[in-house]
Amino acid sequence: MTLTKRTHWVVRVTHWVNVVALPLMVASGLRIFNAYPAFARKGESFCCYPFAGKPIPGVLTFGGWLAGARHWHFAMMWVLVINAIVYLAFLYAHGEWRELAPRRGDGRRAWEMIAFYAFAKKEHPHQGKHNALQKTAYFAMPIMATVIVLSGIAIWKPVQLHWLTMVFGGYVWARYVHFMAMILLVLLVLGHIFMVFAVDPYALRSMISGWYDEDLSPEARNARPFYHLLPKRKRVLATPEA
Amino acid sequence: MPRRHDDERSLIDRRRFLAVATTGVAAALAGCDSFGSRRLEPALAAAQRANERVERRLFRHRSEDRIPGGARLTGDAFPQYFVSDSVPIWDEAARGVWRLEVSGAVRRPLSLSLDDLTKLPRIAQSVDHFCVEGWSARAQWIGVRVSELARVAGATGDAGYVDFQSFDSDYHESWDMESAMHPQTLVAYAMDGRYLGAGHGAPARLHSPIKLGYKNTKYLTRVVFMPTRNGGYWSDRGYEWYGGT
Repeated sequence: MTLTKRTHWVVRVTHWVNVVALPLMVASGLRIFNAYPAFARKGESFCCYPFAGKPIPGVLTFGGWLAGARHWHFAMMWVLVINAIVYLAFLYAHGEWRELAPRRGDGRRAWEMIAFYAFAKKEHPHQGKHNALQKTAYFAMPIMATVIVLSGIAIWKPVQLHWLTMVFGGYVWARYVHFMAMILLVLLVLGHIFMVFAVDPYALRSMISGWYDEDLSPEARNARPFYHLLPKRKRVLATPEA
Repeated sequence: MPRRHDDERSLIDRRRFLAVATTGVAAALAGCDSFGSRRLEPALAAAQRANERVERRLFRHRSEDRIPGGARLTGDAFPQYFVSDSVPIWDEAARGVWRLEVSGAVRRPLSLSLDDLTKLPRIAQSVDHFCVEGWSARAQWIGVRVSELARVAGATGDAGYVDFQSFDSDYHESWDMESAMHPQTLVAYAMDGRYLGAGHGAPARLHSPIKLGYKNTKYLTRVVFMPTRNGGYWSDRGYEWYGGT
């Protein structure tokens, strides 16, 4: 067992705040969307949304009705924005952004990970704290979040912040960007959750207590999704069956 | 069977995680339906007050809604909407000729016929209409600025709010003075070049792109300047009072 302190408490706290606040934000947003589950301006058509007029299933929504969902949405936005500012300020001040910022060779390393997961490569590529795919995902999340926040402000204040709405191509497109960026972020989050449980459940410990056992890292276990999930047993400790 | 020490440690960690996670989810769901916990309502109300402060600080008279020249107007697809059981139509036989009353915190209360209204300085503007539901529409409106009515009636210094009242049942919505005085806030009597139809608030309605649709009272009867806010039809039913865009 090689325990290392891996996850700073600021990262752990902001992570779990997201776990609570993000689903509330998404679900209340979907309830707001259901009041007009389409993007076209009245009397016009919209090119790029094939499900116009079909509401999101109620179980995925939160807030009960349009006004209630709006209250939740406009309250959780503060929680999430402040949380994100704390997280990003910490990354910057503590230098941890270096672990997420793209570097030369990341593309090649990401392909190596994909090749490994696809059984086209035998050994887990060497990695630091995160593998190249994780790095890409964790780097993309704050970027998607920024797009979501800005497009959200653009549809909240299409007149007072008209210039911002125009950056997204006007109200209709800002609403679409807000929706699609949310979908992308949700997909990233779902991928993240899947990979934690399928590849590195031991990372849960470091997201709770901060401690991580390097002997159980995916690299040490040569772990693919659902492969080598349990730690390798050392032969010397094995008791031969009678 | 041999058990390795770190196996045990990680199991305990997982157990502890599950315990923490279930407690958290249970706490979040306690006393909670899809509307959210009733106990959190004061927090939501506080957030709404904070949002209103931000919105009012953000507000500028020179920020105006603009649609591109030659942009297509919504025309017949512009939704019609009222809260009464049937289209509200001013009953001249029962109620006399329609007049718009401008009263409250003013030095010279007004009672304007539609004819009087059309003789006041006229503004024509093609703007967006933003509905709280998420859709938007475009129309050209002709009318009189509320700021012009305030000037003619001599709104006093303690007029901090304006209540826009209607003959569509008890529909009304009150506004903050700054928003009411915005140059794009009109008492409109024509839409897309024709006098308002019954479905769009005839004979006159409030229209401004700077607030959500429900704040724009149709079937207007009274514009009342007030020292305090007076809620509104949807504002009293749980929708955000400010509703600025």
